[in-house]
Amino acid sequence: MSLPIPTTGPIQVPWGYFDALLLLVFPIHLLFMNSVLGSTGIALYAYWKKEDTPRRLAHELGKALPILMAFTINFGVASLLFLQVLYGQFFYTSSILMGAFWLSVIVLVIVAYYVLYIFDFRFPHLGRTGLWLLALAMLLFLTIPFLFTNNMSLMLRPQFWSAYFNDPGGTTLNLHDPTLIPRYLHMVVGGLAIGALFVAVYGRFLGRKDPEVGRYATTVGMRVFAVLTLVQMVDGMVFLVTTPGDVMNMFLGHNVGATAILMAAFLLALLVLVCGFLGKLVPTAVLAVPLVFLMTFVRAYLRTGFLQPFYAPDSLKVTGQYSPMFFFLGALGTGLLVAVWMLRKASASGKTA
Amino acid sequence: MNYPVWYLPAIGGPTLIAIIAVTHVFVSQFAVGGGLYLVLAERKGLREQNPAILDFTRKYTKFFALLTLVYGAVTGVGIWFVIGLVNPDATALLIHNFVFAWATEWVVFFLEILAITIYLYTFGRMEDRTHQAIGWIYFVCGWLSLFIINGIIAFMLSPGKWTDSHNFWAGFFNPTFWPSLWFRTMVAFMLAGSFALLICAFLKEPQLKALLTRFSGKWVLLAVLGGIPTGYWYLMSTPDHARKLIEGQMATITTALRYGAYAVVGLLALTLVFALARPAWHNKAVGFLLLACAFLVVGSFEWTRENARRPYVVGGDQGVLFSDSIQPDAMQRIQASGFLAAARWSRFKKVDQEHFLAAGQELFKFQCYACHTVGGWNNDLVARTRGMNFNALEGYIERIHQIRPFMPPFAGTDIEARALAAWIVKDLHGEKIPPVASLVAEEETGREPAAAGVPAGKAVFEEHCSFCHQLGEGSNPIRKRVAGWSRSRIRQALDHLSELNPAMPAFTGSAPEKDALADFLTGLNQEGAQ
Repeated sequence: MSLPIPTTGPIQVPWGYFDALLLLVFPIHLLFMNSVLGSTGIALYAYWKKEDTPRRLAHELGKALPILMAFTINFGVASLLFLQVLYGQFFYTSSILMGAFWLSVIVLVIVAYYVLYIFDFRFPHLGRTGLWLLALAMLLFLTIPFLFTNNMSLMLRPQFWSAYFNDPGGTTLNLHDPTLIPRYLHMVVGGLAIGALFVAVYGRFLGRKDPEVGRYATTVGMRVFAVLTLVQMVDGMVFLVTTPGDVMNMFLGHNVGATAILMAAFLLALLVLVCGFLGKLVPTAVLAVPLVFLMTFVRAYLRTGFLQPFYAPDSLKVTGQYSPMFFFLGALGTGLLVAVWMLRKASASGKTA
Repeated sequence: MNYPVWYLPAIGGPTLIAIIAVTHVFVSQFAVGGGLYLVLAERKGLREQNPAILDFTRKYTKFFALLTLVYGAVTGVGIWFVIGLVNPDATALLIHNFVFAWATEWVVFFLEILAITIYLYTFGRMEDRTHQAIGWIYFVCGWLSLFIINGIIAFMLSPGKWTDSHNFWAGFFNPTFWPSLWFRTMVAFMLAGSFALLICAFLKEPQLKALLTRFSGKWVLLAVLGGIPTGYWYLMSTPDHARKLIEGQMATITTALRYGAYAVVGLLALTLVFALARPAWHNKAVGFLLLACAFLVVGSFEWTRENARRPYVVGGDQGVLFSDSIQPDAMQRIQASGFLAAARWSRFKKVDQEHFLAAGQELFKFQCYACHTVGGWNNDLVARTRGMNFNALEGYIERIHQIRPFMPPFAGTDIEARALAAWIVKDLHGEKIPPVASLVAEEETGREPAAAGVPAGKAVFEEHCSFCHQLGEGSNPIRKRVAGWSRSRIRQALDHLSELNPAMPAFTGSAPEKDALADFLTGLNQEGAQ
């Protein structure tokens, strides 16, 4: 029996434009998401220590977290948008199969977001409740990527979709997939590592007002980053080994682009790791950003490899309506100018206040 | 038929969409109107050099950010999630055609987040003119967000020339785009005023409370007054088919509009009395009541708009996609060659004796479940088919789109219609059906011709009336409807049913059948009288 992969309609411009946009916005989403994850984790640790300096760091991270969360969602929306254009027939199907869990993401995000705001706005009155709030937020921030990993991996596995016939109620998860756990850990451990690095960088800025907090943030952040990056590299290899032979071989020489990108990412990761263990904040941070971009390119190759027996986005019919895309690019350029103006004004008001 | 169906028969997909969508629209349109309210309230405070007004605006901003940034923004994503889950074909169609509209909306969403965050955190710490400018940027971006999403939502109701050209701009600036945009803008201002009135109810200082209550009341009053011409313009711009549904052909819309009208009257009365005439009387109970009325107005409008698209999910007079995700172009082919054979996610590829009822359930799942629940509160199929026997239901399914112009035609062969009818009658109602073997055999041998002569009145009633009326009990008993009517009055009414109620379809039987039915109904009257 052939696999029941849905059909889909034409797209307006060639798929490469959407792919480029996806590969632009998704790493930014990850950087924000990682910052949320790492800041929550370190804030939880710092709050738990009950000492004065860590407590002040927890407060500072608490102020930043709702804003980071807002932009995580914002860039997540853009990523999902471009993903749906190219891979909608796979994504909608896997979403339906795990519908109950997938829709629960919305509830979990709302709860987590409000928890962060409560932590920020009520900080002076929280006492022990603060610890519980952060623990709850952390739990939610570990659960949400688990559900995302399920969906993002299930969409690549049409051969597992027959589970639907026994469970049309939307409670199927991709638990039998050997890549699930290493993939999830890769996302979460890497996220915590980059997030910790964010805390270290943020510490530099905080240090201008409060040197003790700044130093503390940088020290803890760098240490967590270095250790977790090491774990992450090991998990990355496990993840690669759990992928089906054809997919794994893509990265082992069968596909030049995939192999080159993975090698480049691996070497960059090694370099970042060395800088991390040496405690060199600026080079580590500067190199970590392209590393996140490279890893998302690896991920894109991975998806192509998984879907290759069923589908390639270049098979989509193109209608050739370019004007909406130009309009969007114009809006994006204008939007960036307005954003820069607002940030400059906000920064100036911070200095004069 | 292209995608699997997330099957929650007691809840239903539309219920999930309604819960998320109505609450989202309530908050997100408040986000649009509230943006303007904030800058104008701040300006009022600055011009009158009144720190109390500025303090109020700051508090309002905090409440506003907490509600709109979190609940408003995340439920917006939630709508996306849920429409993808409930109606993936329509979502894919919208995404493929309007991806760059959504992408542009993402840009303004980004600016909204940035602007309101800066506005909130720099309140009182930034130069006044710049702070006001940031507020204006927030409002403009919020309104642009409405502008863009409005294009996509209006497209679903009235795709206009897009149906022929598939041109992005033709679809975006469709026939209801402008009236819908201005109507929604009025709704947004109404919500901004209503939320502000709730906050005003919590103010302690009487003079400030009176001042701001009156200020906020004017927002509600002007928005409601603006909503009347824009709403009328909107109604007049809707495709003919949709307008007929709104004007009485669809009972659920009539009910929604009735409650909406009560809510508008309530909103106006409360605003006039407690906000404008006697602001000193304004209190928390009034504030919550006012907001409840505003919520009802939004709910009534959205319910009406959603249903006016029927039988399509992307409609217009020609129709792009039926509610059950079937394309009108494909309908004839499916009716000839069978639905199950073409449905990728059905457990059965054809109706046979062994899986006759289970195949019927699959047909329900992939077609009727798009709008109906089984035993749920929304559009319960069990309640809708109560009192119908197998023959009546089978006939009804085959003519469903003629009898109820807001329902798509049944997409399937005769035997598939029989399987669906049998599942409803046997499995949902526990009533008898003809032997399955004979129902399957009809496929091969053809149906036995109906007995010659005029059927009995009761049979005519069952075939033509029982899908809305029960005999003596239920929510719409025919005995009560014709109580005291003479035979000639009943007979005459059968020629002009839609004059009795615009939701009633014309009687499609022959004149002798009408006579037989009139006799039967007159007999019911006499039974009742005895």
